[in-house]
Amino acid sequence: MNYRTTPGSLAFNVFLYGSMLLIGIVTIYPFLNLLAISLNDSLDTVRGGIYVWPRMFTWNNYEQIFMYNDLLTAFRNSVLRTVLGTVLGILSGSMLAYVLSRKDFIARKPISLFFVLTLYFSGGLIPAYMLMRDLGLINSFWVYILPGIVNAWNVFVIRSYVDGLPISLQESAKLDGASDLTIYFRIILPLCKPVLATIGLFVAVGQWNSWFDTFLYNSTNEELTTLQYELMKILSDTQAGDSSQARLGSSEFANQVSPESIRASITMVATLPILVVYPFLQRYFVKGLTLGAVKS
Amino acid sequence: MKKFGNWLALPLAASLVFLSACSDGNNQNATEGSKASEEGEASDALSPITITMFSSQPNTQWEDMESPVGQKIKELTGVTLKPDFPVGDPMQKLSLMAASAEYPDLIFANNNVNTIINAGGLIDLRPLIEEHGPNIKKLYGDYLNRLKWSKDDPAIYFLGTYGVNEVQWEPRDGFMLQHEVVKELGYPELKTVKDFENAIRAYMEKYPTIDGQPTLGLSLLADDWRIAQSVTNPAVFATGGSDDGEWYIDDESKDPVIHYTRPEEKEYFQWLNHMFNSGLIDPDSFVQKYDQYKAKIASGRVLGLIDSEWQFREPEQALLQAGKPERTYGMYPIVLNETFKNRNFQSPGYSGGTGVGISVSAEDPVRIIKFLDWLCSEEAQILNNWGIEGEHYTIEDGKRVISPEEMQKRLTDPQYGKKTGIGTYLYPFPEYGVGVQDSSGQTYKIDSKEQIVGKYTDIEKEVLKNYGATMWMDLYPKVDEFPVKPWGAAWQINIPQDSDGAITMQKLNEVVRKRIPEMIMAKPDAFDGLWDSFQAELTAIGVPELEEQFQGLLNERIEMFSE
Repeated sequence: MNYRTTPGSLAFNVFLYGSMLLIGIVTIYPFLNLLAISLNDSLDTVRGGIYVWPRMFTWNNYEQIFMYNDLLTAFRNSVLRTVLGTVLGILSGSMLAYVLSRKDFIARKPISLFFVLTLYFSGGLIPAYMLMRDLGLINSFWVYILPGIVNAWNVFVIRSYVDGLPISLQESAKLDGASDLTIYFRIILPLCKPVLATIGLFVAVGQWNSWFDTFLYNSTNEELTTLQYELMKILSDTQAGDSSQARLGSSEFANQVSPESIRASITMVATLPILVVYPFLQRYFVKGLTLGAVKS
Repeated sequence: MKKFGNWLALPLAASLVFLSACSDGNNQNATEGSKASEEGEASDALSPITITMFSSQPNTQWEDMESPVGQKIKELTGVTLKPDFPVGDPMQKLSLMAASAEYPDLIFANNNVNTIINAGGLIDLRPLIEEHGPNIKKLYGDYLNRLKWSKDDPAIYFLGTYGVNEVQWEPRDGFMLQHEVVKELGYPELKTVKDFENAIRAYMEKYPTIDGQPTLGLSLLADDWRIAQSVTNPAVFATGGSDDGEWYIDDESKDPVIHYTRPEEKEYFQWLNHMFNSGLIDPDSFVQKYDQYKAKIASGRVLGLIDSEWQFREPEQALLQAGKPERTYGMYPIVLNETFKNRNFQSPGYSGGTGVGISVSAEDPVRIIKFLDWLCSEEAQILNNWGIEGEHYTIEDGKRVISPEEMQKRLTDPQYGKKTGIGTYLYPFPEYGVGVQDSSGQTYKIDSKEQIVGKYTDIEKEVLKNYGATMWMDLYPKVDEFPVKPWGAAWQINIPQDSDGAITMQKLNEVVRKRIPEMIMAKPDAFDGLWDSFQAELTAIGVPELEEQFQGLLNERIEMFSE
């Protein structure tokens, strides 16, 4: 391709790269700032003025966090729920999406409508709790997976992607004698990789970040605790430490790491593992797989 | 065939719908099984029992009863405590309990306790205390009456937390000046807001910058609820009131008024307005966040503060760490003019408006009250405050003594409580206050005046000496100059949530947070007009009706407390 630089396109490029750089900086700065704070001495942080580089380097904030006992169990549970929740979530979501995308499926409209309703209405906290209790899901690992396994919004996203696939692909498979399940596993699933990667990421991040269900359903069982819940606990511990000292007016247990520093370190601990997942999913976002599959 | 396939898809879709509602029978059995084993049948005093508990506040020092003190408690009582601490808003968990009527054995609901009581979740402890609670009765003494819920429902639903009969040795609120300022000015008399203002002005004129940064005279904090600590409550304290939250209650007439309606306070806020317009108040005062405020103080260039001690403890620590003890603060009982007395040390008596209660789900309330009673005993209180004899303290000449090395650990190791269990089983359980003596004449708490003075910095001691005092409390009017407040602390009186008063209270908050900063930052000649419209606004949102309603609640409370 012949590429000539005119003043206009140069200006455009400068503008483009400039604004991209700006957005990049705006995005990464808070992260770097927290990283610096998490590695800076807690009392020194109170004085302010920490930007992207720690002034008084220390591991102390992280030591405070890793001193808690249940962190390993919590980490295991979090990984487990993320992996399991994502795989099962994608599988059931896409299966449902495929079914709902079939134009020859008679009950398609009413069932879709039924799912739409769940987007707008929810039962609320107490009914949800009572339902889980009656289903025997309290104090069980499955409460992390089952209630949210099918998410209507995800289903619709996948369905519209499936709708965009050429129908002739399915028809030709059918002519070759493929059953519905075969079509789903051999044609639809592979073609849906980009959308599944996207949805998978949503689900995984959601699973990784959620702590409220642990608090609600499993808080009395330390075997079922999750990382985010433990981190939340540490955070509210330090905040409570703050105010209980205040209340007692006693400096007996001084020397605590301040909530700001703990929050920064916790953010790091919580974010890094899930950040690692991104590069692996990256390649699916760019590919358009159906290209060249149908000639008309 | 094709048609059939389509119909097959329907159950497939349906099964996916209901997958989300799938139940797992095994787990239900497991839950019930563990519950049954926890409950057991405990009639023997020392047979092992697990007591479940929900605590509305996290306990930083919780150690799963594995510490020496925790083990000792287990050994002496047979009780294994299994607490559940909230993360985020405890109200969510409490509502679930109230709605499902499934409670742990013990509940510490803190200020949401009415949710549980209204749902009938707590049992009346009076008969149990009567029969099994000699130590509880001894701990609370006459204040047991103050634990009653209300005049119409005189049940005792929980044992009040916070130290009973606590002696106050350090002021909690006041007007702060850096030690450097008073030293430089030759220890001027500091009684009224004018003295305070003059000290700040004189120093500021002499030193317009500190460490190269502009000097700030007085920095206030109005970040959300913290406005009360730094801006609105001090208006009461400077005009002869004690801490009753939004209320001011006259000693004699016992008429409660929303404190902003007092003419004295107009004068106080006018003074702040004057300070602001003279450039002595940090112009960022009403926009800064708490961490910015702390950073400023930690930089050492804020000469004066008006705040509660615990709000600026952290930056003071930072100042000490940075080797600038002369930039930390002394607390002075400043009042508006000579006719007022600072009442920081007026005693509210005991008013533990919150504490641990036994739920209706508890299988063996007798055993639990016996445990609570044991926690109130001398043995338990000494164990929980001092630790184990021979390990955390020794007895010399019949006195408990903590070795200097152990004391050092106590003061500097943030994990001390977790490692030893000392302090872990006090709050929110009942405890004796600082300064109360046991049967041998020693205090239950390790705190003493000597210990407080021992922690003062050299410059702090020097400043105090020049004011003819050894402790900051010596500068304040003494506790016995004022009557014990017969209503406890007025901010603890619950205004029923379903009444108009509660809404007015809410609106009051909004109005105050908006109007007070506006008034302080206004031009001096606009102040009067703004104050009048503020007063009119207070009337419009129903403050007079609220005061009337509160009068009733207050009278009931005084009556109940003095029974």
